Amino acid sequence: MNGAASSSLLPRLAGFAFIIVFFQIGVVSELPVFGVNADVCSLLVAFVGLLCGSTIGAATGFAVGLLIDLALLQTLGLSSLVFTLVGYWCGRLRELRDPQGPLTPLVVGAAASAVSLFGYSLMEFMLGVDAPVSFELLGQIVLGVLVNTVIALPMWALTRRVLDSALPEDPRRRRRRRSYTTGGLSPLIKP
Amino acid sequence: MVLGLLVVLSLLLLTAYFGEAHNGRLHGVQRDFLAVVSPIQDGANKALKPVRDLFGWFGDTLHAKTQRNELLKQNEQLRRELVANEAEKRNYHQLASLYHLDQLGVNDYHPVTATVVGKNPDLWYQTVNIDKGESAGIRVNDPVINGEGLVGRVATVVPDGAEVDLITDSSMGVSARIGANAATGLLQPKVGEPNDLLLQYLPANYRPNPGEYVVTSGTVSNEESLYPPGILIGRVTSVNEESAYESVNVHPLANLHNLDIVQVLTAGARTRPANLSSLAASLSAAQSTTTTNTGEQLASTKVGE
Repeated sequence: MNGAASSSLLPRLAGFAFIIVFFQIGVVSELPVFGVNADVCSLLVAFVGLLCGSTIGAATGFAVGLLIDLALLQTLGLSSLVFTLVGYWCGRLRELRDPQGPLTPLVVGAAASAVSLFGYSLMEFMLGVDAPVSFELLGQIVLGVLVNTVIALPMWALTRRVLDSALPEDPRRRRRRRSYTTGGLSPLIKP
Repeated sequence: MVLGLLVVLSLLLLTAYFGEAHNGRLHGVQRDFLAVVSPIQDGANKALKPVRDLFGWFGDTLHAKTQRNELLKQNEQLRRELVANEAEKRNYHQLASLYHLDQLGVNDYHPVTATVVGKNPDLWYQTVNIDKGESAGIRVNDPVINGEGLVGRVATVVPDGAEVDLITDSSMGVSARIGANAATGLLQPKVGEPNDLLLQYLPANYRPNPGEYVVTSGTVSNEESLYPPGILIGRVTSVNEESAYESVNVHPLANLHNLDIVQVLTAGARTRPANLSSLAASLSAAQSTTTTNTGEQLASTKVGE
């Protein structure tokens, strides 16, 4: 891991996460789309995990969740727990599979949103929130996942743009190597 | 390792927060944090307001058409309800007028119940004969009603009988108004359809609704009419497009083909209705050879003088 890159990653990541959390609270939460609000925080955590790995993804998830719980006076630790798991799993996906497809952020964003929304609802029910389990709730979750899927690609582009230059050398080098290797296998190019 | 630590930390926070009272330490930390970030949140809220407004504008625009259609439907429904309520209100006033004749100036009249003893079969002269006459206090031009509404007026009187011109007779003309509105006009038989009436000379641009009740107005050119106000005559069937003036077709409520018992509203001696009746009668006699004006019009002309 490149020391300069990793040292600039944390403050950049912290600032970016802080801005995104307050953007979520101040803007996105007040703009319902089809009756639901987009959740850019879960996308942020997922994409940080996808870019930086499981450890940073889990830590970012914990921090973002804690910030949300503190700022919104929610049950402390609830969002942290859910986002920690989301960040970790997305990081593990990068570490184990390293998917490079153009639709990877879309799928990861949708999956992270679904896990986040279902997980949060499940935790609330386990904590005894007095709300009926209904098809309406299910519909809201599905709509939320769809809305998040729509904004996943722009959010991915933004996250990568902010963090790319501060990323450790390893992921960037691996991406370059993969491109080179693919090019080397082309029958049109002589070795 | 890190995952386990963060999960355990989250669970500890969750357990501690969930278990403590509202004035507990973690709640206090949360409140302190909110106090710190509140100005930031406020500033961010203000700074991001244009962004929010921009997104909100797009959202509002997307929803505007749907909302407009819904509101149009709602407006249409409310308009229908309003019209129905207005019609019911007018009906109520009509019925109230009918059942409270005493308050409408009928006190000056003494109803004399009479039996219809003869009917004129001629299409152009819609008259009936009754078995009460001058000896019962009946005079020429006295209004005749039955339980359903206005029937006509006394045209000729003899000591023990009288001839009544029905409202569908060509010589008739009654000052009438539609429902509780101020729209008054002259009600006359409809040419070519002797069983229907035509309310003419209504105010310009007045559009009555079919089904509205037509009652006697009680006034002619701001003077008293021969007929007391509020007596039901008929219902509006349609707007007459053929007439040069604003007019509507009216179907009489009284079944004029099956009259058995009627009431003649006789006026007491020296009362205002009696004076009006005698005045109209004298004018009718004097001018009947030179004009086709109705008694109602003649009376109004003289009263106007």
